[in-house]
Amino acid sequence: MIKISNEGPKFVVGEVTITEANLSNSDEFKAELVKLLDEHKKIVILDLEELKYVDSAFLGALVSALKYALSLKLDIVLVGLRTDIRDLIKLIRLDKVFKIYNYPEEAQFAVNKF
Amino acid sequence: MQNSAEKLAFEFDNSAGKLVSSLQYMLDYISGIIPPQADADDIMFRSKVIITELLTNGIKHAGNGHTLFDIEPYPDSMVIRKTDNGQPLYLINSRQHSTEQFDDNKKLISADMLNSLYAIWESDNHIRFASEEASFDDFLPVEQVMEHFGILIITRSSDEFTYTYDKGAHSNIFRVQIIF
Repeated sequence: MIKISNEGPKFVVGEVTITEANLSNSDEFKAELVKLLDEHKKIVILDLEELKYVDSAFLGALVSALKYALSLKLDIVLVGLRTDIRDLIKLIRLDKVFKIYNYPEEAQFAVNKF
Repeated sequence: MQNSAEKLAFEFDNSAGKLVSSLQYMLDYISGIIPPQADADDIMFRSKVIITELLTNGIKHAGNGHTLFDIEPYPDSMVIRKTDNGQPLYLINSRQHSTEQFDDNKKLISADMLNSLYAIWESDNHIRFASEEASFDDFLPVEQVMEHFGILIITRSSDEFTYTYDKGAHSNIFRVQIIF
């Protein structure tokens, strides 16, 4: 569900390989994200380019994982969002808690300056 | 007055595997009833997130039965209605058994530093939802941010969102209006 595509001293880039993220796979998605944080102890840059469809259960899992990341003094950064997913995140104001970039390279540059 | 298009009635079997195809079926219908003067992109986005959450609600709460969706077009709006025979929404029971005061029949049902969500009782079994944005504009501490967004997403995306519990039929009716 999350494939590592790049790694630096401060970050790991995880590509989300599913196209639909909803109630049926949100628990598994959260578990993979938590495992990634635990194993790498780095900021996770989550590339959502493949994702075409999300629901509130997926967004809840994402927020829950972000809380866990911050408790480890890490972070989850979002990249590659389709317009409608970005609009949904803005609709419920989650753009106030997630750092969002257009491309992984842009996020890597920003993370290296954290 | 109704739009000249026929209303759509659709039965969803509450299975997660059919969620996306069911969503697409209803969106295909909606794309054909939006009047030319309306902002089609905006209406399609709002319809997509609303129906997604209503379908998810069906999977979570409507049990093994079926959930009926109907979409009714009017000249200046459309109404999406979801009916199921699952357990009544917790808010109905919580009010009937609560000793707390309900100022103006309005109750704050969730709040964090981003959003507040209210239930407004228009009668014992009829609730209208409303939301407000908090005034923070910078990045916020995430610890207190809620993790349940379904009702908030529908409230924010719709022009009116209500819930009715029909005691006689033991049915839950969610009604969403989108103005074109």
